[in-house]
Amino acid sequence: MADLTVLDDKATWESRVERLWATRPSRFRDAWYELSRNKLALGGAVIVVFFTLVAIVGPALAPYDYAKQVLSDNLLPPLSKGHLLGTDELGRDLLSRLLLGIRISMAVGLGTTAIALSIGTIVGMLAGFYRGWVDRVLNGFVELIWGFPLILIAVLLIGAIGPGLTGVVIAVGFVNWAGFARIVRGDVFALREKEFVAAARALGKGDLEIMIRHLLPNVVGSALVMGSYYIAIAIIAEAALSFIGMGAQPPLPSLGQMINEGSGYMLLNHWLSTIPGIVIVLLVLGLNVLGDGLRDVFDPRLKGLG
Amino acid sequence: MASYLARRTGYMLLILTISSVVIFYALRTAPGGPSGGGVLNPLSSQEIRQAYDKRMGLDQPVYTQYFIYLGHIVRGDLGTSLANGTPIVELLGTHARNSLVLGLTALLISYVIAIPLGVLAAVKRNTWVDQLAMGGAILGMGIPNFWLALILVYFFSLRLGWLPSAGCCDPPQLILPALVLAAEGTAVTMRMTRSSMLEHLHDDFVRALRAKGLPEWQVILRHVLRNALIPVISLTGLRLGWLVGYALIVETIFRWPGVGYLLVDSVLRRDYPVAQVFSLLLIVFVLLANWFADIAYGLANPRIRVA
Repeated sequence: MADLTVLDDKATWESRVERLWATRPSRFRDAWYELSRNKLALGGAVIVVFFTLVAIVGPALAPYDYAKQVLSDNLLPPLSKGHLLGTDELGRDLLSRLLLGIRISMAVGLGTTAIALSIGTIVGMLAGFYRGWVDRVLNGFVELIWGFPLILIAVLLIGAIGPGLTGVVIAVGFVNWAGFARIVRGDVFALREKEFVAAARALGKGDLEIMIRHLLPNVVGSALVMGSYYIAIAIIAEAALSFIGMGAQPPLPSLGQMINEGSGYMLLNHWLSTIPGIVIVLLVLGLNVLGDGLRDVFDPRLKGLG
Repeated sequence: MASYLARRTGYMLLILTISSVVIFYALRTAPGGPSGGGVLNPLSSQEIRQAYDKRMGLDQPVYTQYFIYLGHIVRGDLGTSLANGTPIVELLGTHARNSLVLGLTALLISYVIAIPLGVLAAVKRNTWVDQLAMGGAILGMGIPNFWLALILVYFFSLRLGWLPSAGCCDPPQLILPALVLAAEGTAVTMRMTRSSMLEHLHDDFVRALRAKGLPEWQVILRHVLRNALIPVISLTGLRLGWLVGYALIVETIFRWPGVGYLLVDSVLRRDYPVAQVFSLLLIVFVLLANWFADIAYGLANPRIRVA
């Protein structure tokens, strides 16, 4: 009877349940624990979070309008009075342009990756789930696009759409979805043979429900891990395309466009190009290192290799 | 093998036909045209533009233009550049050669640097050598090549005055673009060599060789490296395809008159005939490179060899 009194003690019981609940095994919690022990990945995460915040609030805090020209104050060096990072050849405040440039680059990176992730996941899921001719058609298309260099397709697509950020987003999204489709297809190929899928089928679930409720949660992890690499790829691609005049058009400042505009002043005013360049490098390094960390957490087999 | 070749050739022809139609249409649907500022003076009058379009046949429906174009191509006539009237055959010869010189130099540089460093990093795993090499690799993959180009130009051309900042086609002018084009490939190859070496360093046959008393350097260079290089070399085909993409950027920055430079220029200037021929040329090149990659992969790994 003594045991029962313990069970009847409602407060004790509830606190025990709460403790168990708080320490329950969870994939997210494990991942967070692993990630927090990986110093490099944590550094990457800090950089990425920092630039995300800058992209969100930065332009609102900018001291000047990004397009405002003061020709008498042109080409001021960094740390000049009133212009922390100096001014460009038209006397526009470099810091204000940089803040907006970071927002544009981040938005292009996230936007294209969101498009690519969604399309890639759907296509990969269908190809891996239905196999047969569906797979042959879809995968043939995926392999074709996957085999082509991003910049080549982007240049041709932008040739059709016309230079500008819209063209860049469509072009980069159009190419990068193939990468997600390949990964998801491979995962689904293996997963659909698992018992839980057979069990769902035995319960009379339809294809759509199996794909969305049972397969999707299992593939979304690796797709998200790839996401951080693809954001980096998209940021570099946008910068490169803007640099050769196919991306952001003046006076809009994307990081690549700023490097391009500054490239004519390298000898005496190199900061016009070097500062946005350093920002891109930091951002891309942060994303890549974070991606490596996430991969180690979600796919420990690859740890230390590659 | 014969049926494989036939299938593959058919596939390539199909892709090329589709791409030629798509590119032909795409270029013409974009805002602006050769007469809208691409080739003609942007301020020229409406009459001059219409006269130009009529003379060049650009006022006809796109499908009519396509079949006329196809007729010329079948007869071996690639046409002339709208921008300066140069026959495209001539452009093709010089620009393809320039691109090949640049691409092969870059490929050579990346292997000469990456393979020894990758081996060293694997053998000295987790020492400062390894960490330095891998840190360099991460940096090499993170630095956008056009920015690397600017930085190298800043130091070696503007500050030190050792190398020209752009142009073609003397060896000194080749150095900077080739280095920039090689950068990412070097980083990727180095990481691959290292991981591939690590996979084989503890194989049974390696232990047997050591037990036999073979000097360590011979074990590494003659036996482990030979196995480890298979995936690295079979990736060359894919690397060739990537190089095409980077070459578009690098050639444009350094004004290196290659295929990529001319393609970007002709797309921006709406020089249709040039853009059409050069984009198809690059597509053929990438398809062939990918095909080569498939074959090389099969040769390196007999388990997946194509039937």
